[in-house]
Amino acid sequence: MADGSIRHVLIAGGGIVGWSCAAMLKKRIPALAVTVVPLRPPADALADRIQATLPTIVYFHNDLGLTEADTVVRAASGFRLGTLFEGWADGLPPYVHGYGEHGRPFGTASFHQHWVRAARAGEGPPFDSYAPAAALGRAGRFAHPEAGGAYSYGLTLSPDRYRHLVRAYALHLGAVERPGDIAHVRVAADGGSIAAVELAAGATIEADLFVDASGPRALLRGALDLRFEEWGQWLPCDRIMISEAPPTAEPPVLDTIVAEAAGWRWRSSSPALATEGRVFSSAHEAPTDGAIALRQGRVSQPWLGNCVAIGDAAVRIEPLEWANLHLAHSAIDRLVAMMPDRDFSPVELWDYNRQVAAEADRVRDFLALHYVASRRSEPFWRAAAAAVPPPSLAHTMRLFQERGRLPIYDEESFNRDSWLAVLLGQGLLPRAADPLIDVVPPRESAAAMARMRDAVAAAVPGVPTHAAYLQSLSRQAAR
Amino acid sequence: MADAPAKVNVTIVGGGTAGWMTAAALVKLLPTRCNVHLVESEAIGIVGVGEATLPHIRAFNERLGIDEAEFMATTRATFKLGIEFQHWGRVGDSYIHPFGTFGRGSGEPDFHHYWLRLRQAGHAVPDLENYSLACMMARLNRFALPNPDPDELTSTFGYAYQFDATLFAPYLRRLAEGLGARRTEGRIVEVVRDGESGDVSAVRLESGETIGGNLFIDCSGFVSLLLGKALGEPFQDWSKWLPNDRATAMPCRTETALTPYTGVIAMDAGWRWRIPLQHRTGNGYVYASAFLSDEKAAEALIASVEGEPIAAPRVLRFKAGRRERSWVGNVVGVGLASGFLEPLESTSIYLIQAAITALLELFPDGPIAPVLRDEFNRLVDLEYDRIRDFLILHYHATERSDSEFWNYVRTMEIPDTLKEKMELFRRRGRVVKYREGVFLDASWIAVYLGQGVIPAGHDMRADAPADDALLRAMETFRREVRATAEAMPDHRGHIQSYCPMAA
Repeated sequence: MADGSIRHVLIAGGGIVGWSCAAMLKKRIPALAVTVVPLRPPADALADRIQATLPTIVYFHNDLGLTEADTVVRAASGFRLGTLFEGWADGLPPYVHGYGEHGRPFGTASFHQHWVRAARAGEGPPFDSYAPAAALGRAGRFAHPEAGGAYSYGLTLSPDRYRHLVRAYALHLGAVERPGDIAHVRVAADGGSIAAVELAAGATIEADLFVDASGPRALLRGALDLRFEEWGQWLPCDRIMISEAPPTAEPPVLDTIVAEAAGWRWRSSSPALATEGRVFSSAHEAPTDGAIALRQGRVSQPWLGNCVAIGDAAVRIEPLEWANLHLAHSAIDRLVAMMPDRDFSPVELWDYNRQVAAEADRVRDFLALHYVASRRSEPFWRAAAAAVPPPSLAHTMRLFQERGRLPIYDEESFNRDSWLAVLLGQGLLPRAADPLIDVVPPRESAAAMARMRDAVAAAVPGVPTHAAYLQSLSRQAAR
Repeated sequence: MADAPAKVNVTIVGGGTAGWMTAAALVKLLPTRCNVHLVESEAIGIVGVGEATLPHIRAFNERLGIDEAEFMATTRATFKLGIEFQHWGRVGDSYIHPFGTFGRGSGEPDFHHYWLRLRQAGHAVPDLENYSLACMMARLNRFALPNPDPDELTSTFGYAYQFDATLFAPYLRRLAEGLGARRTEGRIVEVVRDGESGDVSAVRLESGETIGGNLFIDCSGFVSLLLGKALGEPFQDWSKWLPNDRATAMPCRTETALTPYTGVIAMDAGWRWRIPLQHRTGNGYVYASAFLSDEKAAEALIASVEGEPIAAPRVLRFKAGRRERSWVGNVVGVGLASGFLEPLESTSIYLIQAAITALLELFPDGPIAPVLRDEFNRLVDLEYDRIRDFLILHYHATERSDSEFWNYVRTMEIPDTLKEKMELFRRRGRVVKYREGVFLDASWIAVYLGQGVIPAGHDMRADAPADDALLRAMETFRREVRATAEAMPDHRGHIQSYCPMAA
């Protein structure tokens, strides 16, 4: 290793985000010394608390070298295939945003263009009936997809159990824990980097790189500057409440998100724990006790000098599509892949910040879409639907409405199928079908679509229930 | 169907590669949506001088239902696995930009980080091209079609064609006319515009005939008859970064090896192409007139080609850059009418194809919605801008100081977007990843390392394996690559059994 290499990383934060970062650093760059100050995650650190996670967590675990005997069975997680949205557009049935393909392209165009043509002629069942994830999810069934399969899955975590697992794994890989509260963050004389953190017990810890995983308060990164891009004009909710509940006997494969008068509520459940939550706007509903303030947006430059913010310290966003831990994982992956030298060259930090910003802004767009494309009569919803979307989302929606086409930008977290599930699920129909499908007669489309739908439906009964599948995994793991 | 919109009358101005590719794609893929009418003048002639292409063209041909062997036989085509660059970083250097990966192309970090790590630790590991199947096949003059199974080493390369562009347009013309495209011979003398909207409403020919249309595709080449001349869309001039503005071309008989790659040989004031076709070898010298006269360029070309010349050198003039927008009003520029980038990385036909693909997907079915134009221009601009940076890299990343030309490009100011990319590679071997853009990581890596942009560090994840285990694994892989390439048929032999041109 070259002389300028970073040797010691300090991570402030003892939640899922902090420990995941420690484990990945030790796994992929074993030569690093990693110290964790396991600050208890505050109530508003959503990436440390939200149960539902996206399919990218599976890749993160693979990279870490963790198997599902650990991350699912021992950590009491469940599988999830998507989200059921209720009440987001008056007059339309609930829709599922399921992970993975919705139909398959045939003839000269992508599947959804065939669907749009049929829908414009008033025919055909909902878009989600072509998604295996949605069909299995509605039936409460789960099995692992085959290689190259038609759906993917995330996990529903039991956050405490999962955090213990990741912490134990990080320690096993050689991360060092230094318990205590941080009493003071010593900023270097140049004002643009951190010299050391001082623990309440008196110890001082220096490091080459400081990772701030302390949640929205951003104890370390916030000591350098507080520049922040606000998203309130597009994501109008500013309060969140989370409560725990006993799990149900059959843990659901879909989480449920229901629109309410001034926001929405959800319910998720792993085999060990259920959570219920509400997200709403304090301008339209008086906050009650227990409501946590949620200031949505992202830190302008998550990485400055020798300090990088990850998780809620970098991006604060409502859990509408469960992207919180996904964004933290993605930041960790980038950090590991882009680990600079101790001189923290501006161009490398610029590249990191550029990617993180592009990714976060596009997640913002995807969430904002749910509001802009909503159709409800309450003042909150009318205002949300009337808001002028960010330019990248406005372009996406205009192009979709004109042509059913989606511009795909760099650093998308949600793929085309996901965008389509929400756009079409909330009743946004392109003005006309794509001219490219003219050469396929509608009759032929209808027959092909019926075959796909039948295949999706026919596969469901052969798949075990979620509970039965989890039990069989437990038995395997116990062997 | 509920709505059957009226057909759009599409008038394509100019034949040649761009015009006939557009015509063929439209009649084949949007037969119910448009009538296609192409106007061209045999008196004008086309630029096509023998074309090296990128692998993307295979998808275009497939979409049009073109049979590969028949197409190759007709256009007297050869296979292309990449480009060999000679004398670029320093006089005497040679490297291959492969249409394929280094290593197996799977897993993180990228293969070259392991290679860099060993080099930086002082191990004498062989050049990176030894770990690329495409490079080794090219070096050994071998060819076989890639394996579709992604787990196989033989799936780690792609290929393109080297063909006679003067035969490609007629081939597509037959296809397009067979599917109903109309063609009118004649020189355009006037572009008629609608007084209110400013849209083009018709073109008038020398014969007096007027051809109207709802949508005009400008494939008129450098002259940019509609987009540039009639609509006055400004041209972004990139010649301060890409000063070459002339080419002199001279085909020769193919007498030497039929290489499965294009040769790009740096010269005193530019570079020379060598494109081996079945029956002849295309040669040309692309140069900057500010640094070299036409006469000297022709002399230098004649002095350097192999084989008996078939024609005298012919000079082409151009300027690097693109129109601010490629779709304005009801005029869509495709090919040289929308912009020009020298053929250093064989992007001319790719840029045509990219514009056609975007046009197909954004084809209007009535009044043209602004969002269709915006998206088309966003996609096309991205292609141009990213290729531009990649081309500039070839000139700027050099140690050559043996001519005025090389002194200029070595020391010129480069775009910030490229500066950042180079700095990121120099520090840690990192390639900036984008979704759109034709050249992926392996392309950038090949040119950086081939031209002396050597990283100081590497991705720290590459430090995980132990030294001896890594050295062993790399050596095993290198041998497998070599043996796999050696077991493949000779390029010429493969062509003769697969797609020989008619005698």
